[in-house]
Amino acid sequence: MGTSASRWRAAGGLAAAAAMAAIAMLGGNARAQATYEVQPRAPEFLYARTCGYCHGHNVAPIIRGRNLPAPVIAAMVRSGQGAMPAFKPTEITNAELQALAQWLSTAPADPREHGQ
Amino acid sequence: MSGPGFSRREMLAIGGAAAGLAAMTPLAHARMLPEAMDRDVFAAACRELRAIVGEDWVFADEASTISYRKSFIPDLRGEHIPSGAVAPASVEQVQAILAVANRYKLPLWPVSTGHNMGYGMATPASSGQMILDLKRMNRIIDFDAELGTILVEPGVTYQQIHDYIEEHNLPYWLDVPTVGPIVSMVGNTLERGVGYTPYGDHFFMQCGMEVVLADGSILRTGMGSIENGNTWQAFKWGYGPYLDGIFTQSNFGVVVKMGMWLMPKPPVYKPFVVRSANFEDVAAITNTIRPFRMNNLIPNGVLIMGALYQLAMFKRRSEVFSGDGAIPMDLLKAEAARNGLGMWNTYFALYGTDEIIGAVEPILRGAFEAAGGEVLTEAEMGGNPWFEHHKTLMRGGMSLEEIGLVRWWGRNGGAVAFAPVAPAKGDQTLAQSALATEIMNKYGFDYAPAYAVGGRELHHIIFLMFDKGDDASAARAEQCIDEMITRFGERGWAAYRSSVSTMDLVAQQYGQTNREVNARIKQALDPNHILAPGKQGIA
Repeated sequence: MGTSASRWRAAGGLAAAAAMAAIAMLGGNARAQATYEVQPRAPEFLYARTCGYCHGHNVAPIIRGRNLPAPVIAAMVRSGQGAMPAFKPTEITNAELQALAQWLSTAPADPREHGQ
Repeated sequence: MSGPGFSRREMLAIGGAAAGLAAMTPLAHARMLPEAMDRDVFAAACRELRAIVGEDWVFADEASTISYRKSFIPDLRGEHIPSGAVAPASVEQVQAILAVANRYKLPLWPVSTGHNMGYGMATPASSGQMILDLKRMNRIIDFDAELGTILVEPGVTYQQIHDYIEEHNLPYWLDVPTVGPIVSMVGNTLERGVGYTPYGDHFFMQCGMEVVLADGSILRTGMGSIENGNTWQAFKWGYGPYLDGIFTQSNFGVVVKMGMWLMPKPPVYKPFVVRSANFEDVAAITNTIRPFRMNNLIPNGVLIMGALYQLAMFKRRSEVFSGDGAIPMDLLKAEAARNGLGMWNTYFALYGTDEIIGAVEPILRGAFEAAGGEVLTEAEMGGNPWFEHHKTLMRGGMSLEEIGLVRWWGRNGGAVAFAPVAPAKGDQTLAQSALATEIMNKYGFDYAPAYAVGGRELHHIIFLMFDKGDDASAARAEQCIDEMITRFGERGWAAYRSSVSTMDLVAQQYGQTNREVNARIKQALDPNHILAPGKQGIA
């Protein structure tokens, strides 16, 4: 009976369990969260969480699989040419951007990407 | 969707242009010194700032400042050009920077991530201010999984919190603005932005702040200063005057920590769209939504999306119309219909259990159908890109699709938002839409509206899209926005927020006494006026 109602109650129980886990975790983890300046993020990670929301996703041109020159990619990320926002060194560090631009310049096309 | 965008040759040209931007025109400069500050004095200030944050985190030349100069709004006279940027990593560094700024009378414009899309991005209200970029302060400091509260620094993006929730399998949802992945929870909340779940009024869901004042002292609002306290993120109001509000849309301090409440993840989520065929239907839709928002049968931040706003997300203007002037209404209506859209598309959602949703849905269906709308769900609209977009937003999901609006006129981009508030009454929305259409069409622009429905009011988000690569278009956009602010103001409709280019104009509409009270608070808290002069019209 009341399947979704019982699921909601169950979710409450889960929340409590998760709380214990999270509290334990926050003892060391969240306060010590390493920033990306310490641990650079991989190009694929950055692409999925920034570029890929627009490029190849109906909003902006597909940029994978086009062998675009890395210096041009880097310049566009920093300047935000045209309708693109600019991304600052505090968002994507110079080292991360260099790796991202290099990766993008040779990354194969992704067949799941579409439109512009 | 159409072709591949720009060619390799164009990319090279664009890259070259970006690199050589400074040489093109004086107004294209990425930076401008503070007014009345000698170059040597500015250089000395920068040396002191470098000693605080390190060589890598002071940006004071053309090349390294270019990201901070970027905005989508018109700036024909170079009135919003920063002098540079400084990026602290800690509260102590913020305090030290403020001490330097006071000593040198160096104005600082704080940003969290600097992606205030329709309102000027990271650019300051007046040229010469140095951007205080808080993005490096990017820690999730606390997440209480029992209370569903979070304490974050300004540089934390919604994406970062989303990832954290996923990684730790926490039973909570975010509430995001339309560009969640790259923007800050603190920044959006301080601007009093809104989202589209039941937790859509961000400032209402905010609980506790830590603020560095201009003199370096640290204020914790609400319960935050209680010795051994544990209710900072649980109880908003504290004791005595409630201070959090004076640090939103203001320049009275630098907010370096903020608490927020998160929505428990519901077992069942059901998104809806109500499709309405005619421009005039906005009145009936408004009157239908209002009682359901007031009694909470519709719990979330509802969006009434105009056809043109919707189409512009995924299409370019040239795909729809190639004639002169604004797009004719009948053509717009036909294009909307071809894409499964109405002239107005109202998105709401139900959350809870199957039983709750089963009880409420027929009541809402009946009311919207009586108002002439088609009530549609996943069954009919699944896969429609606009429905999918709003389905994502109403569950606090990650999307940047609305950036598509910025290139309506082409790849140069160009957009500025005007957001007057209206009471949630049908005659008011109809009158606002008619007035906006008249003014925008006069300047050759298309009226792209979205109404974000709170309880008793609506934020009327008008996205004025223009061609920033064409000075004539940018000039018309500037005039059009000014006329809209002025003429809406004459009818008693003022903006809830504004771009950096119109802050003073809007502030005037809120009256002299308001301005004087703000000025007195400013003088008391920041006597050297080093924090964001001009923000919301406060010097």
